[in-house]
Amino acid sequence: MESVIETNELTKVYRSGREAVTAVDHVDLRIERGTIYGILGPNGAGKTTLIMMLTGLILPSSGSAKVLGHDILKDSLQIRRRVGLLPEGFGFYDHLTAEQNLDYIATLNDVPKAEQEKIVDEALRAVALEEFRDRKVGAFSRGMKQRLGIAQTLIKDPELLIFDEPTAGVDPEGARVFMDLVSELNGQGKTILICTHLLREVGPLCTHVAIMNRGGFIIQGRIGEIVERMIDEEGYRIEVGIKGDAEAFAKELRSLPGITELEVKGGNISVRATEDVRANIIRIASKKGVEVLSIRRLEPSLEEIFMKALSKGRKQG
Amino acid sequence: MADVFAVASKEFSDIVRSKRFIILIVIFGLVMTIAMAAIYIQVIQAMSNLPDVPMPQAFLGMMALILSGTLSSFAPVMGVALGCDTISGEREKGTLKLVLAQPVYRDTVINGKFLAATSAVSLATLITSLASVGISIIIIGVTPTAGEAIRIALFLLFSILFTMTYYGISTFLSTILKKTSQSVILSVVVWAVFTFVISIIASLIAITIAPPVFTPGQPTDPESIRRFTAIVETISSITPNYHFNKIGQYLLSPYSPTAPQEEASIMSSLMYAGPNILVLVIVTALVFILSYITFTRQEVR
Repeated sequence: MESVIETNELTKVYRSGREAVTAVDHVDLRIERGTIYGILGPNGAGKTTLIMMLTGLILPSSGSAKVLGHDILKDSLQIRRRVGLLPEGFGFYDHLTAEQNLDYIATLNDVPKAEQEKIVDEALRAVALEEFRDRKVGAFSRGMKQRLGIAQTLIKDPELLIFDEPTAGVDPEGARVFMDLVSELNGQGKTILICTHLLREVGPLCTHVAIMNRGGFIIQGRIGEIVERMIDEEGYRIEVGIKGDAEAFAKELRSLPGITELEVKGGNISVRATEDVRANIIRIASKKGVEVLSIRRLEPSLEEIFMKALSKGRKQG
Repeated sequence: MADVFAVASKEFSDIVRSKRFIILIVIFGLVMTIAMAAIYIQVIQAMSNLPDVPMPQAFLGMMALILSGTLSSFAPVMGVALGCDTISGEREKGTLKLVLAQPVYRDTVINGKFLAATSAVSLATLITSLASVGISIIIIGVTPTAGEAIRIALFLLFSILFTMTYYGISTFLSTILKKTSQSVILSVVVWAVFTFVISIIASLIAITIAPPVFTPGQPTDPESIRRFTAIVETISSITPNYHFNKIGQYLLSPYSPTAPQEEASIMSSLMYAGPNILVLVIVTALVFILSYITFTRQEVR
């Protein structure tokens, strides 16, 4: 599949006097067209610096990258022409109306005057702000400004959208509107890159994630693959609900090969195993006459993956 | 790629609609009106004592003087007021990130801002100066000669340059400093140093090194006065204000500095003011180039 972003050992070192801080450390990233890619990481992980380098607003110290086939060093203007960027901590001109702000953005993007009105209309409609077009942005709520921020990314009809901390400081309703919009845009074939530390809100949207900390990626890939990888490393987690004496049944299960941990909670038994032992559990239950009410494999949540990856990264670091 | 005029047009509109700009124009207009009224009263009184004195000449001469004095104080204030948040303000509001996320070169942004400020300053200077000169002409009923009009027009042109010198200094400070509050404070400090501190220091040094010789009952030694003035002027010449005042002196006074009895042509006055004009152009270009280089190399974080 065609990649829209490809980095090779991309590095950024900030220098202040004698001090040097490596914000992005030899990052290799490949984002395929049509995906929703989440770069997740705590504050200060290097996400914003990475995005700024990809859009040519910060120069890398070493390494290379291409965005939509354009070199970030040689052709950053072309990148910004084709990429809609919503930077963290952006602002609008408060004394101008929503429409005037978008008109200015359209002018900066060389949108012909004749098309400007239509394009601004469409962008405002996409974020449900058309009825506030004549209101000064200074009177907008945080959520409305964030939506207008998304609208400005749509002015240039970009192939790739990059959102940096898009839901930070936005109320749950605003976050939901954002997620719906991202899904819709992705449905139109746009590739979306989201950087956030709020993985609970944005994480579920992503088809691919990379977990970033201290300037580097600890883990990256398709979410399904990451889950499988984690299962391989951490083992399977199976939860069994039975009718009857759970303690007695747990004793029987201990003898099963592959089971490493077992815990009884009321009528439920939590099992950790090196392989998928669900068939064996059902076989033993049937042999012992125990009625199995439920049996399911628990997959690690994105939050668990994130926490595990971070703690693993810290140990390695 | 968006051109510099797109940025300049928006910036110009922002400046001229801002309360700050309107307040500056109103203050300048008031100062000029009060000064004119004061001179008018003085001239009327003088005329009642000396009916043969041609009032319009006296009035226009004093008007030019007051225009020069007011602009030398007002121009830096306007330059600092417009320039102190050029970059830092946009950075603080987050609008700089938004603009730079678009396909624009950074030099387009800073050139557009500089062009807009030059246009706004020109507008302010022309409106207030022409209005005050115009009112004075209406009151007296005498129009200036073509030569006088050219001298005033040239002086206004260099007033715009002088305002842009301070705008450039303030813009440079707002580019290198993170906060507008820091940029405002430092710009005001620079203005105060150039306007007051250096002239005081120059006088103190001159008095210490070459005090004018006063002998009771005799005229002051002209050589000692000359040496004292030379030291003051040499030290003061590090400020843009000194050069602007010199330009004002040469352009608004029709007399030759070397032969005070002879009337100097406009071209001669320009020649006399040439070095001072050059210094103002160089300083303005320098601070702008410094702002330009700093801004285009700055990283957006």
